[in-house]
Amino acid sequence: MVSYVFLLPFLIVFGIFLAYPIFYSMWLSVNRVSWTTDLFNCFTTMKFVGFGNYLELLQDPRFWWSLLMTFYYAALCIPFSVLGSLLLAVVMNQKLQGVKFFRTAYFLPNVLDMLVVGIIWVFIYSPHYGILDRFLSSLGITYFSQTGILGNPRTAMLGVAFAVVLKGLGFGMILFLAAIQNIPTSVYEAADIDGANAGQKFWLITLPLVKPIVLFLSITGMIQALNAFAEFFAMTSGRPYAVVGGVTQGMTRVTGYYLFENWQTMRYGYTAAISFVLLLVTLGISYANARALRTR
Amino acid sequence: MKRAEPGLEEEEINESRLEELKRRFRRGALMVVLVIMAVAMLFPFFWMLWVALKEEGHAFTFDFSWAKPLFSNFASVWKNPDYPFGKFFLNSLVVATAGGAVTALMCSMGAYVFAKKDFAGKEPLFWTLLATMMVPGMVYLVPQFALVSTFRWVNTYQGMFVPHLASVWGLFLLRQYMETLPDSVIEQAKIDGAGDWRIFFTFVVPLSMPAIATVFLITFLFHWNNFLWQLVVNTPDSPLLTLPVGLALFRGQYTTEWTKLMAASAFSIVPIAIIFGFAQRFFIQGMTVGALKE
Repeated sequence: MVSYVFLLPFLIVFGIFLAYPIFYSMWLSVNRVSWTTDLFNCFTTMKFVGFGNYLELLQDPRFWWSLLMTFYYAALCIPFSVLGSLLLAVVMNQKLQGVKFFRTAYFLPNVLDMLVVGIIWVFIYSPHYGILDRFLSSLGITYFSQTGILGNPRTAMLGVAFAVVLKGLGFGMILFLAAIQNIPTSVYEAADIDGANAGQKFWLITLPLVKPIVLFLSITGMIQALNAFAEFFAMTSGRPYAVVGGVTQGMTRVTGYYLFENWQTMRYGYTAAISFVLLLVTLGISYANARALRTR
Repeated sequence: MKRAEPGLEEEEINESRLEELKRRFRRGALMVVLVIMAVAMLFPFFWMLWVALKEEGHAFTFDFSWAKPLFSNFASVWKNPDYPFGKFFLNSLVVATAGGAVTALMCSMGAYVFAKKDFAGKEPLFWTLLATMMVPGMVYLVPQFALVSTFRWVNTYQGMFVPHLASVWGLFLLRQYMETLPDSVIEQAKIDGAGDWRIFFTFVVPLSMPAIATVFLITFLFHWNNFLWQLVVNTPDSPLLTLPVGLALFRGQYTTEWTKLMAASAFSIVPIAIIFGFAQRFFIQGMTVGALKE
C-alpha cells in the first residue's frame, strides 16, 4: 500500500499534465475555436469539426513545405554534427595535454540557452557591420553584405544549422570518446602487428564499433529537428520569404515554427492536428530505429 | 649539438630523431585542431561579453573606450524600468529551482518503490511511463496551455513549472541508481523497526545523492532554458517574465542596441557557465546517460 503513496505525487502530475493531455489533444484536434465567444474561455466553447483540421492540413502547402524544411534542416545538421564530433573525439583520444580543459570547453555550449546563442549569432551574422561579414569582405567576398547570411534565401538555413551544429558538437564528442575508449587496445595492437596504418585502423576498427553512436545521434538529431523552435525564433522567424510554386514560403519555416505561428493566431485545433502529424513522424522514426537495431 | 657516433649507429640515431620529430609535429598539428575548434565554439560567448562591456553605438567597432563605467550596460538592463532583468533573473531562478527541487523529490520517491519494492502492476506501469518519453514535446503545447488557462495559471510561477514536474527521465535515472544500493542495509533497518519513510529519508536519499543532484541540475537547466513554454504561458505584461522571454521582448523593442542586448544575454549564460564549471560531471553524466547505456 505504502508503495502507491510514494508514487502518488508523481502519478498525479503525470496523469494531469502528460497522460490526459495526449487524449485531450486528440479531442482538440477535431475541434475549432469559435470566434464569437469569449477569447479567455475559448477552450470550453470549441466547435466540433470532425476531421476538418486534418483535411485542411493535407491541402496546406505551407505545412508540407514546413515538413520539407524540417527534413532539410535535419539533413544539414546530422551529418555535420556526427562527423564533427567524431573528429573531435578521435583527436581527443590521442592523450594530448589539456584534454580536460578541452572537454569542458567543448561541452559547455550544450548547456547554454538556444535562444540566447541564436541572438548572439544574429549579431555575428549581421550584414555589413557584423564580424563575420567584415572578415569575408576583407577576403573580397561581398556576396552577403546586402542581405546577410540569414537574410539570403539560399543560405539562411545553412546559417542556422552552422550555429546549432557548433553548439552541439561536444555532446556527440563525449559519446564517441566513451565508445572509442571502450575498444580494447589489444584490437589495435593486433592491427599494428598486421601492419595496418592509421587510416585503415580508423575505417576498419573504430568506425564499425562506434556505429551505434552514429545511429543514436541520427535519431536524436531527427527528433530535435522535429521539435526545433527557439533557434528559428531567435535567428530568422521563419524568414526570408521566397515564392515557391506560386506560394510565398518561409525558407526557414520549419514545422515547429509553423506550429507556433498557428498557436499565436489562436488556431488551437489546427495546431493540435499539426502536433499529431509530428507524433506520427516521430513514431515512424523510432520504429525504423528499432528495426535497424534488430538487424544489426 | 652532440656529435653522433660514426657508422650504422649514426643512421639509427638519425632515424629515431626523425621519428621523434614526426611525432612532435603530429601532436602539434592535433593540438592546433583542438585549439581552433575550442576558439570557434567559444568565440560567440567571448564576443557577447566583449560587446556587453562596450559603449552604446560602438557595438560593431574594434575600439574600446574606458570612459564609461565598465559594467554600465549590465547595470542599466538589470534596472531597466520596462524590462527589469534583475526581476527576470529572480523569476527564472524561482521557476528553475522550484521545478528542479520538486522533480528531484517526486522522482526519488517514485524511483525508490520501483527499485526496492514489489506492488501490483509495477512493471506494466513502468513501461507505460517509459513509452510516453517517445511523445515529442510539441504535442503537449496546446493541451497543456489549455489546462493552464483553465486553471487560471497564466502569468503564475506554478503555470511555468508544474506541467513539467513529472520527469520520466529522472524517474528512470534514479531507479537505475537505487537498484544498485545494497538490500542488506534496508533489511537491517526493517529489522530495527524502521518504516518506509524512515528508510527512504535516512538511507536511500543520502546514498543516492549523486543521482539526485544530477536530476536536480538537469531539471534546473531544463526550466532555465525552457523558452517556448514560458513564452506561451505568460502575457507580455506579466510581472513574472523569465530571462529568455524578457530577452525576446526586449529585443523586439531595442533591435539595434546590441551592447545592452548582449549584457542582457550574459545574465542567462554566465551563471549557467559557472555552475557547469563546478558540477560538469553531473551535467555530462546526466545528459549522456540515455545513450551510453546501450
